Amino acid sequence: MDIEQNQAELIDNFVKQASAQKGTALGSVILEATSHPSLFAFSEILALPTVAELEGTENSVYLKVLQLFAHGTWSDYKSNCSSLPQLVPDQVLKLKQLTVLTLAETNKVLPYDELMMELDVTNVRELEDFLINECMYAGIVRGKLDQLRRCFEIQFAAGRDLRPGQLGSMIQTLSNWLGTSDNLLVSIQEEIKWADTMSELDKKHRKEVEDRVEEVKKSVSVKLQTVSRLKLSSEGSKISTLNLVE
Amino acid sequence: MASSSSSGLTFKLHPLVIVNISDHYTRVKSQLNPPPLTSTSATVNGVENQQQAPRVYGCVIGVQRGRTVEIFNSFELLYDPSTHSLDRPFLKKKQELYKKVFPHFYILGWYSTGSDAQESDMHIHRALMDINESPLYVLLNPAINPTQKDLPVTIYESELHVIDGIPQLIFVRSSYTIETVEAERISVDHVAHLKPSDGGSAATQLAAHLTGIHSAIKMLNSRIRVLHHYLVGMQKGDIPCENSLLRQVSSLLRRLPAIESEKFQDDFLMEYNDTLLITYLAMFTNCSSTMNELVDKFNTAYDRHSRRGGRTAFI
Repeated sequence: MDIEQNQAELIDNFVKQASAQKGTALGSVILEATSHPSLFAFSEILALPTVAELEGTENSVYLKVLQLFAHGTWSDYKSNCSSLPQLVPDQVLKLKQLTVLTLAETNKVLPYDELMMELDVTNVRELEDFLINECMYAGIVRGKLDQLRRCFEIQFAAGRDLRPGQLGSMIQTLSNWLGTSDNLLVSIQEEIKWADTMSELDKKHRKEVEDRVEEVKKSVSVKLQTVSRLKLSSEGSKISTLNLVE
Repeated sequence: MASSSSSGLTFKLHPLVIVNISDHYTRVKSQLNPPPLTSTSATVNGVENQQQAPRVYGCVIGVQRGRTVEIFNSFELLYDPSTHSLDRPFLKKKQELYKKVFPHFYILGWYSTGSDAQESDMHIHRALMDINESPLYVLLNPAINPTQKDLPVTIYESELHVIDGIPQLIFVRSSYTIETVEAERISVDHVAHLKPSDGGSAATQLAAHLTGIHSAIKMLNSRIRVLHHYLVGMQKGDIPCENSLLRQVSSLLRRLPAIESEKFQDDFLMEYNDTLLITYLAMFTNCSSTMNELVDKFNTAYDRHSRRGGRTAFI
């Protein structure tokens, strides 16, 4: 996953910066982090003790902004507009990108209408430009735009920071996947066994039929000898063509 | 004779070398058929098998970059049994020719076949030391052992050990990894899949195909299991949370279910039905032709009784 590799250095940088600062200075670090065009992961910064200290102080807005960027969407921002500081255009862009990622979590096919509503975009052209330029070229999303059905089919979307409850559901999905593949393995093995058994049966059947043909041949040839002696006088030539049967 | 190497070199072996050596050995062995009655081949005396497996010799060439030795190719050499040495003029000529085509390749050592490294091999090894200060000895064991899981190829290096007060050169075994170029991967894959064609019957081909899929899914299964274990450990708190990994796993899981649209179901069922229909049709044709033959035979066999002195209509 190249996005993670690209981000790894940035994350390290910001973590170092953030752990060195406190209070208001931290606010500027957070501002920088949230506006950086290639950074989409904030949970490492959130986990720092210096950042957690911001809770409850007058700088707690910065913590809220960081949390919003880690887990929230554009609509969350709009509903809480009053308690959060004004966002810089870079941050607005990033928040919209993160919103697309969150939407990708639930559905693989996103209708244009939903996207337009979530992202506050009015026409399709703008939406497509946004998706292509900001999301696909940035590498966070890969997919196909279906204009006829007005939807966006997502094949790959980068991961966002995890909420605490998501780990449980991820484990559930993984165990389901494991279960399905185990079942598949068992059924493949059964198929292989079935194929082998059927070929065995077929061979046996073929052999049986051949044995019976041999038997009948032998009995007919014995009969032929007795019959030919009796009827040799009248139908000699015709009976000798009995070999047609064989 | 063989302990573990301590020189610290990492060896990378290309499959081309292994295929070359085994091809050389197979050719020589099949050319010896019928085997000579008098043992004129230059093998070591007193070998345990009745049929003396011929030993083949050759050189391996490749590149050495720092501590990594990569063996790319090999060529054959003639062994002179009288002098117990390899054919030097031929070796020089081949070396020049290869240098023209592959200027970076050096002679890294030599190869031979057999089950274990012998004492006489040390002579050849020493002789090659003037070309390369520390040559490699690649040994291929041609005996087919169905229970063995890894390749019967070993790489030996020579080390100066003091034994009984006398410094001697002995062979020490080194480990190696297999490194493939894309072209080699394709050819090895092709050869690996060549087996079922002489099996012939449909059941064995089906079984082979299914076995391939089975092993692929098994590998996937084991990897998912590792991920699962890791996440469970993280949840319990045994392992510290690594967010970047969690993000990657979550993006991976979001790709499941991989194919679930309605269109896929339609196409899949249509193709399935087509296949079933064609099989049914083929079966029908088969049946009707068998029936036709049976009727013909029946006619020929039982018609004769009514044909005495007259003609009957064909059924």
